Amino acid sequence: MSKDNRKHNLRKNFIRPISNEKWQPITIPLVSIFISFIAAAIVILIIGKNPFQAFYNLLQGAGIMPKPSYAGYKGMLTDFLSLLNAMTPLVFASLAVAVALKAGLFNIGVSGQMLVSGFLATIIVGYSGLDAIIAKPLVLVIGIAAGGLMGGLVGWLKYKFNINEVVSTIMLNYIAQYVISFFIQMYYIDPISRQSKYIEEAARLTLVNVEIANLKMDIPLGFILAIFTAIFLKFVMDKTVVGFEIKAVGKNRNAAKYAGIHVGRNTVLAMMISGGLAGLAGVTYYLGYFSSIQPKVLSSIGFDSIAVSLLGNSHPIGVIFSSFLVSIIDQGSTYMSSQAGIRQEISSVIIGLILLFSACGEYLKQKVSRLKEKDLDQKKGES
Amino acid sequence: MDTVIIDGLSFALPLFIIAIGGIYSEKSGITNLALEGFQGFGAFIGALSAVLIANVSGTEIQNLFYVALLFSMLGGMVFSIIHAVLSIKFKADQVISGVVINILALALTTFLTAQINAFVFGTASDKFQLGVSDRFTIEGLANIPVIGAVFTNVYPFEVIIIVIAFFAWYLLYKTKFGMRLRASGENPHSVDAAGVNVSKIRFSAVLISGLLAGLGGMCFAYSISANFSSNIYMGYGFLAIAALIFGNWRILPTLAACLLFGFAKSGGAFIAQSMALPSSFTDLFMILPYVLTLLLLIFFSKSNRAPRALGEIYDKGKR
Repeated sequence: MSKDNRKHNLRKNFIRPISNEKWQPITIPLVSIFISFIAAAIVILIIGKNPFQAFYNLLQGAGIMPKPSYAGYKGMLTDFLSLLNAMTPLVFASLAVAVALKAGLFNIGVSGQMLVSGFLATIIVGYSGLDAIIAKPLVLVIGIAAGGLMGGLVGWLKYKFNINEVVSTIMLNYIAQYVISFFIQMYYIDPISRQSKYIEEAARLTLVNVEIANLKMDIPLGFILAIFTAIFLKFVMDKTVVGFEIKAVGKNRNAAKYAGIHVGRNTVLAMMISGGLAGLAGVTYYLGYFSSIQPKVLSSIGFDSIAVSLLGNSHPIGVIFSSFLVSIIDQGSTYMSSQAGIRQEISSVIIGLILLFSACGEYLKQKVSRLKEKDLDQKKGES
Repeated sequence: MDTVIIDGLSFALPLFIIAIGGIYSEKSGITNLALEGFQGFGAFIGALSAVLIANVSGTEIQNLFYVALLFSMLGGMVFSIIHAVLSIKFKADQVISGVVINILALALTTFLTAQINAFVFGTASDKFQLGVSDRFTIEGLANIPVIGAVFTNVYPFEVIIIVIAFFAWYLLYKTKFGMRLRASGENPHSVDAAGVNVSKIRFSAVLISGLLAGLGGMCFAYSISANFSSNIYMGYGFLAIAALIFGNWRILPTLAACLLFGFAKSGGAFIAQSMALPSSFTDLFMILPYVLTLLLLIFFSKSNRAPRALGEIYDKGKR
């Protein structure tokens, strides 16, 4: 066997798992995740720690694998539920980015929209003393409305005044951050925690310290809603006129216009949906995962969600899996750092690497199809 | 009143140089959301080299200012290779690549800062202490009323930035390279037909953007924050993008946009201070530059036009 041939065979074996075009949307992200874990393992080896133990600790910390011992009232289920609790806002935020991307819009303003809706829900419902049965749905409604209006504003500015949505969302992020910080510090500050006063339990979207079977757990109600929203969104995007029009505008604005689709209306609509989803992320974050707002800080979820949604191919179901993965790494890192003695910050490096390699997915895809063509040519030449 | 001009300039100019970097990249047709990451990573390399050299040679860290500037440019440029390779060679989506680079820069530099502090210096710190660079005042000119403030308490980097910005302006608008670069962003096929390698032009444009953004980041680290930490990622890179879009992808209007940001920012702080309001009111004045931008954009955006081939992957075979 000649050297050239062997090289060719090696290449063929290497690309076999990702050569099936039908499965590429799933296999290529998986391959990138695999490569990035290898890269992360090398980094951990350089620091002089055991990568397998580190990765196992990540899973343990996130409640996927059992820890050797637990404190009182804690168990694997507790950890897993807090994973879901942290994951819920990320799912909503990534869906928000995904919807905007489908319409060819880039919503950098998710964190601003989250903050505004979280703040409004906090001051309207959080301190109102309403019963849980009214308060919780009201929080959701306010979240959707506030976020939707803010997103709609961005879409309207783009449609009416040709203001690039990247610029307007960045400006609105800053404005929201400073104005809300002002109001919190003037009227709603808790002097001890230096954050806004804690909201009432009735308005919170996560049930805290529920005792079941001798375990104390946080039950994120928003998580169920997040899953349903993702499925519903997939339905809207694939099966309805609204979804079709939004996607058409995103693929080619001019073609959509010629086809008689109202581009401006769909731009505003897509941004409203995106903003509404960001609003849901806001309320599940500030009135679920947390129960107060830290002034002058925008949550990093807004930016992480861009990457998470891209990792999930901006597909509603893909987004659930990608946020699950990112949340595991994020949540497990505390336990990993205490057990393996590796800095917690490595978790964000791993996430960064995963995203970096998945950005190369398009290149892999091209490479594969080119190799296939070559293969075909060769076979033709032989016969 | 003087402080408004002094602080405004020292904020506007680093922002301006980052924005010029963005203009280079976007004019060549490569969308650049990675400026935030470039400026952070550049500042990290600059600060790291300053801290290391100061430690080895025993010099005062303030004196290593120029060394740090040099290394920050190098660092920004090296880091921008990722964006160039991803979006030109690997044909990745340029928006995705930019966002990923920002996330990676934040993660890597925070991790490495803590790790290096622990391993090399044996301290548990998440920042490199730099101090504020020395300032100088031009006697005589400084005594002119109002305008004199421009020559008072000037950071040396402001002069450097103006010199580099002038050179960048010349390169982009008056040279063959600049013309080809701008043409690559408008009609890459015609550039190709003229026998010029589009990918090479774009590659160098992205590297220039990394270099300039790294410089800008270092200037922020040596003035506003006086150290390197994850606080360098304050969104100035995004603000620079806003400025360059506001400036319609041209250097001089972008300077105007940056000055507007700078003076509105320092002006807001000045008003809050002179009215002796409680500190939380400062927040309310901080929104000034952003509200102003939005309002101005409503009037000026109609004529705004991005480079025609911006964000498009160059495909030789496509017509």
